[in-house]
Amino acid sequence: MRIEACECLTAFGGTGETVRALLAGRVALTPQAVLGSAGGELVPLALLRERSFEESAPPNWLPALEALAAQVPGEGWGTARRPVVISSSNFGVGSLYAYRRTGDAAHLAYGTPHLCVDWLARQLGWGPNFTTISHACVSAHLGILHASRLLHSGMAERVLVFSFDFLSPFVAGGFHALRILNGGFPAPYAVRPNGSIGLGDGAAFAVLSKRGGDFVIRAQSVHNEMHHFTANQADGQGFSACLLPLQSAAAGMRLWLKGHGTGTLEAGRLEADALAGIFPEAGLVGWKGSLGHTLGSCGLVELAIACSSIRDGRAPGTVGGGQPSFHAGVALQPFSTREMDGVVCASNAFGGAHAAFLLSHD
Amino acid sequence: MIEQYLHAISLVEASHEDLAATRERVRDRFPRGATRRMTQLGLLVSSTLDALSPQPEDTLIYASAYGETCALEGYLESFPTPSPTLFQTSIHPSAVQQAMIGRQSPVREFLPLTGRRHLVGGALIPALISPATRVLLCAGEEKGTWLLERGIASDRSFALAIDLRREPNGALARFGVTPVPDDVPMSDLGLGAFFDGLRDRRDLELVAAPGLLVGLSWL
Repeated sequence: MRIEACECLTAFGGTGETVRALLAGRVALTPQAVLGSAGGELVPLALLRERSFEESAPPNWLPALEALAAQVPGEGWGTARRPVVISSSNFGVGSLYAYRRTGDAAHLAYGTPHLCVDWLARQLGWGPNFTTISHACVSAHLGILHASRLLHSGMAERVLVFSFDFLSPFVAGGFHALRILNGGFPAPYAVRPNGSIGLGDGAAFAVLSKRGGDFVIRAQSVHNEMHHFTANQADGQGFSACLLPLQSAAAGMRLWLKGHGTGTLEAGRLEADALAGIFPEAGLVGWKGSLGHTLGSCGLVELAIACSSIRDGRAPGTVGGGQPSFHAGVALQPFSTREMDGVVCASNAFGGAHAAFLLSHD
Repeated sequence: MIEQYLHAISLVEASHEDLAATRERVRDRFPRGATRRMTQLGLLVSSTLDALSPQPEDTLIYASAYGETCALEGYLESFPTPSPTLFQTSIHPSAVQQAMIGRQSPVREFLPLTGRRHLVGGALIPALISPATRVLLCAGEEKGTWLLERGIASDRSFALAIDLRREPNGALARFGVTPVPDDVPMSDLGLGAFFDGLRDRRDLELVAAPGLLVGLSWL
């Protein structure tokens, strides 16, 4: 499966601005009231530049998505054999919070996944041939997997995978209630007394085809532990079950690893151990200590960053991380990718969901 | 030829029943105390999936337009002190996760979908092209309260699950894909109408994507 184009949007801006900021070790997260104008604890959030945390109707993230979509090459998306696979965790659900808070019925028009996506498709000029996937923080990975199946089956000649998640008090309040979004800043894979995550706005797209493009997704894997809503099996077997099928595809390759690395302690340790066990020679990075966790879009946002890093020969380190780390292979500083053959990109989600793929460059 | 055979079907309808009534009706299917924190949709989806005994190597596909409506309503009402339990329960594929976590049943591939007008076709396509030996396609909705009054929730509660395989022997029905001209409009078919069609064993044809007609024929 080949990638013809892949770009992202984060609090730093587009792909190039994001990679440059990460290489410089900059942190996009800033302390903000968890419920916006309704107050609450200051927590690390990374919003798009000049975007208000307060919901508007229509949602104030539309212009940014329109600018991102304008970079998608080709025409006729959402028509025959050019399907769009849309993935998100939150869609426009922040609008329902805004409705409850203000009573303004205008917000209701964006509050369900289908209302939000139908509206977005109209705004972006897509036809009706789209599929909508929502599996929390592995949503984008599943979008890539489904796109691959459409291409292999002959039902599509090119597929646009488009993923987005924008923050609102709805989602920030939820993670804060779970206590993993708190006053601390995330330090992915660092050994410390308390874990904490940050949240960030994110959106990205990839155009996939069987021919064309200089990046290749060589293998994909998923696994769902179904052990606990918010915890993994203590022995880490869920992480390994997802990663092991990639091992044979990566045999003989010089790899680096882009982990999920939100800044939680137990999941971070289990993930680092599993990656180190299966790919012992590879360095590990995570970028959510800077960008925040961009939720359902993270797999595609981080794919765009990985592609850009490989193309330019230099990958950002684990911004926000520190020593001691859960594993010696955690890279805190930028490093050259020129001697590498590929990268394993992994994401995780509620319910013990795991997804990963192996990316290489011709 | 892209095709799959339907080998088993499980349907549960709660119509206009509330959560307490559903819990009382299905509680014998679950371990003691297991239903206490489950949503109505979680109970219904669990009931249908249990009947098909999900296995780790199955591909599991889930479709719901509105998902966990009542948990979502409750979570929104819990502000300014948001409920962590209702937050995690309100997340889209929670109904299936309630079912599978309750069974402690890992599964390799789980594809949760949403949408409305084209959701049935959108769920059938990945089921039909899946490389798995067995695909379980489940779907459902739960009736909302104040979101329903505003027209953005389901007006009925139900769940369905079907067992799809390549093997024709012993099958109840066949799903197949045939080409149609690209300009034939995609079919509008909601989950409720799909549920009714399965319950009544009606043949079905829908344009699931431009150029692709999916047909269901009972054998």
